Amino acid sequence: MQKSLRLAGLAALIGLLIWGWWVFFPGPERLIRKRLQELATVASFSNEGAVAKAYNAKKVTTYFTEDISITAEIPGRGTQTLQGIDTLQQVAMGARQNWSGMTVEFLDIHVTLGADKTTATANLTGKLTLAGERDFSVQEFNFTLKKVGGTWLIERVEMVKTLSQRTRSDGVLRCWSVGYRLLALGYSTHHSTTPSLHQPTPS
Amino acid sequence: MATDANSPRFAGWLRAAVIGRNPRRTLVRIVVLVIAVFLARAYVVLPIKVSGPSMLPTYAQDGINFVNRLSYVRSGPRRGDVVAIRLAGESIMYMKRVIALPGETVAFRNGNVIIDGEVLDEPYLKKPCDWDRDPVKLEPGQYFVVGDNRSMRQMDHTFGKTDRKHIVGRILLCKNLFASPASPP
Repeated sequence: MQKSLRLAGLAALIGLLIWGWWVFFPGPERLIRKRLQELATVASFSNEGAVAKAYNAKKVTTYFTEDISITAEIPGRGTQTLQGIDTLQQVAMGARQNWSGMTVEFLDIHVTLGADKTTATANLTGKLTLAGERDFSVQEFNFTLKKVGGTWLIERVEMVKTLSQRTRSDGVLRCWSVGYRLLALGYSTHHSTTPSLHQPTPS
Repeated sequence: MATDANSPRFAGWLRAAVIGRNPRRTLVRIVVLVIAVFLARAYVVLPIKVSGPSMLPTYAQDGINFVNRLSYVRSGPRRGDVVAIRLAGESIMYMKRVIALPGETVAFRNGNVIIDGEVLDEPYLKKPCDWDRDPVKLEPGQYFVVGDNRSMRQMDHTFGKTDRKHIVGRILLCKNLFASPASPP
């Protein structure tokens, strides 16, 4: 009886040590997952004041590199790329000005670490829910991340075509989800001010 | 007739009802049940919560349904099957109907689905559709899926080609359970 108690105690101790190691020394995959979840929290908002809007829109950009590039196919506009952290901040601000609330969730995050351990890709499902709307929008993404000064930053975001179909004239047809609305928001916001928005040939 | 909660008879009955006459056997049963549920969910049947109008009127906008993971173990999806299609994982999936199989060419003309030049009979469609789309040829391993609610605008409807590996399984029930009465159909 005493022997089995000792064994159980030893097993519990080993379990505790493993758990402690897991909590206090997280691997890069876990760090990236945590960082992406933080980004989802920061990107979400609800009834913010003017100062909070500006502050939080700026805070969103701290998760991205300066040369962040976001690529998507927007109905009627073909493949669009938002380039640069300033554009991203405008999109984050535009979303806050256009909608009273938005919840962002990143689900099923699969992280693949690069051979050099300083780059990684994350395949995930983004879920966006606008305040007051019953339905939500979903989109699969590939994020490319880079380790800069010990912090994982997103340097490229690509929308994955889980279901895709070419249209007659508009490039690729996609559902008009919140993600596209966001990107279009960035497009319309940015297009009128600076020329740094790229518009590759519609596929 | 009154029941005294402190009486030994009542306490014995309560104990038997909650943990059984043999606690050890009850514990084993619970462990087996948990493992069985876990395995069933992982490899056999996946419960899903349905949301959205794209499969109206066949499936209500809400309610509960199940995905049979074993449907396509021996053979691939068939035309007319309603399937679950995963995105990055299985937390959120699309629920769509397979209308075209690998190697086929699919198009929409005045709301009719044209497969290899022939109009597809779709008795599950209840509302008029005016979609027009150029033909697209499916590669090996690709399926064309679309919802039953074609009265929606094409722009609002998510559909198109998907790879076999994204199809998790076939929807088990022909109606959602616990759909709210206000939700059509």
